[in-house]
Amino acid sequence: MIGRFRKVLDLLKPEFYHQTSDHLNPYFTFPDYRKIWGIGIFVLAAAALLPLMVVTLIYYQLIQKSVDSELILRTERVASNARRAVTFFLEERLDALRFTVNEIKYDQLANPIHLAEILRNLKLGFGGLTDLSVIDHTGIQVSYAGPFKMEGKDYSKQTWFVECQKHNFYVSEIFRGYRDLPHIIITVKSFRLDGAHFILRATLETERLIQTLASYETGEHANIILVSRSGIIQTPSKYYGGIFEKMALPVPEYSPRTETVMAIDGQRRSIIVGYAFISTQIADTPFILMVIKQKAKMMGIWLDLRVKINWFVGFAIMAIIIVITITCTLMVNKLYLADKAKAEAMAAMEQNNQLASIGQLAAGVAHEINNPLALINETAGYVKDLFVIKKQYSKDDELLENIDYILEAVERCGTITRQLLGFARKFDVKIQRVNLNEVISDVLVFHNKEAEYRNVSVYVDIPKDVPEIETDRGKLQQVLLNLVNNAFQAVDNGCNLAINAAPEGRDKVSITISDNGCGMPEENLSKIFEPFFTTKERGRGTGLGLTITYGLVKKLNGNISVISKEKKGTTFIITLPIRMQEEMNKNENSFGR
Amino acid sequence: MKILLVDDEKKFVMMLAKRLVMRGIEVDYAFTGDEALTKAENNIYDVAVLDVKMPGIGGIELERKLKARVPGMKSIFLTGHGSESDFETGSAKAAFYLAKPLQIEELIEILHEATD
Repeated sequence: MIGRFRKVLDLLKPEFYHQTSDHLNPYFTFPDYRKIWGIGIFVLAAAALLPLMVVTLIYYQLIQKSVDSELILRTERVASNARRAVTFFLEERLDALRFTVNEIKYDQLANPIHLAEILRNLKLGFGGLTDLSVIDHTGIQVSYAGPFKMEGKDYSKQTWFVECQKHNFYVSEIFRGYRDLPHIIITVKSFRLDGAHFILRATLETERLIQTLASYETGEHANIILVSRSGIIQTPSKYYGGIFEKMALPVPEYSPRTETVMAIDGQRRSIIVGYAFISTQIADTPFILMVIKQKAKMMGIWLDLRVKINWFVGFAIMAIIIVITITCTLMVNKLYLADKAKAEAMAAMEQNNQLASIGQLAAGVAHEINNPLALINETAGYVKDLFVIKKQYSKDDELLENIDYILEAVERCGTITRQLLGFARKFDVKIQRVNLNEVISDVLVFHNKEAEYRNVSVYVDIPKDVPEIETDRGKLQQVLLNLVNNAFQAVDNGCNLAINAAPEGRDKVSITISDNGCGMPEENLSKIFEPFFTTKERGRGTGLGLTITYGLVKKLNGNISVISKEKKGTTFIITLPIRMQEEMNKNENSFGR
Repeated sequence: MKILLVDDEKKFVMMLAKRLVMRGIEVDYAFTGDEALTKAENNIYDVAVLDVKMPGIGGIELERKLKARVPGMKSIFLTGHGSESDFETGSAKAAFYLAKPLQIEELIEILHEATD
């Protein structure tokens, strides 16, 4: 199972992943294809994914903002409406008391029977009133109408009594009091005919107020409560504590208007709080109305949508990365294979160059050896002739035998030199018509990609008056390739390389290859065509490239020269005969042996 | 049969000449192209045996000049290159050739062939 999985993985693995052919490494345009592959994937992925992520983020923020502002608006509207309802509830009852003390004389109010009558009428008109009582300026209850027996009680120490004397009106917090039922006290101060003041007090049931608040609670997640300014919960709350307990949220800062704020509650839930300090036209109240909504629950639909978007974006990112990886792998692989083919061709050519130089050496050696060998051969042959033909020494068999050994050895040497020459002949000259433009284009094909990647500009200028020449195409190609290779190795990225040709007199053409690369110091110029001279690091150059080039140019009956300035560049000038054959015939006899 | 042997390698020429004489061939020799031309003007040779590469006038040019002066004369080339390639590109395509070091029997055979 694991083996099969590995096999599939190996199929997917690009060829450059294990770039093993060490002997080709110097010829590769790019040394590390895995790095190119990695960088390629990273850059493409960044370019493709960054906008997607930024857009998604912006989209989320926009949605978040619009959802937030919508929630705030809705909460504020609810808070504002509930505030009006609570204010109206209290105001209406305060107004009723005020009307009563202004309309009805103290004597009548002090009469419990009459007071009971008024209570009945108020209950009919407004509802929500439990009892009614009149307290004189000393704090003693003068008369009472209601379900409890409370006549004669002394309220002079009660807060509401003190406060009402000061401010003429008073609205209490919700409290249990003597009767152990949640209620609110509202009081109005007025004056008797003798100038002394008295207070009319009413007790309100809270049930009606709670119902009013509940009617504004839309949905399960909203909670509308009244709290006192000291943070004590006044009406039942679902989440933030029981009635008369301290609220689990902080008391909001005072504001005359309805406000809405975002906050985090004790359980780390995000909430929206709308609040208003309740104040009637006649009197201030101790109540703060609070509308509390849990954001997460309100945003349910949007959160569902966000999960869907997240999935979609996730899949899109995966798909983009997969497509980029596949594309990048295929492209880098193609590039690698092309570069490998080039490297192989160049390595083969280098080897060919070396073989060609060995061939030249062999031919030279063989030729030089053949002459003395011929002399030995003839001399030994002559001695043998003396035996065989002249019969002068025919008796001496041993001498004859020895001469045969010499002749045999000479023949063996002759065979070897002939073989050497046969090997050298592989590199013999083949003459054909050659268009310089075509040859140069063929050579530059090997460097197109490298030029592109390294931003090396190659200018080729072969004017129309340069004729086609008769020469050995293969050798000329090799000469040009060697020189262009050298130039590419000498220039930095972004430099120039120029190849020009011009007619030279009537029977020659010159080809110049110039670069504006590193150039060569003067002392090296005289040595560059010498065998095994190299400035490259060990293992990168054989030191034979220019020697072979020189040999090849000579073989084409041409000349090669070099001009170079350190840090300015190098120019190679090759002069070739237009008709090589004629030149060869001319030179034939002046060569010597 | 009278032949003219031309090669700048003097000792080689002398030895080869001696051996050919032993085999009943009349041999005259020269060490340079000019010398050979002078000899050819004063004598009649059946065959000229010429080394291809010599200082001054080379074997191929010498053959052309000899042919111009003595139209019927045959030529055999000797070459240190031991290959036909020298002749493929030259003007002496039809000429006989021998590679150095040579077998005397082979030379005699070719001489006979040339004079036939």
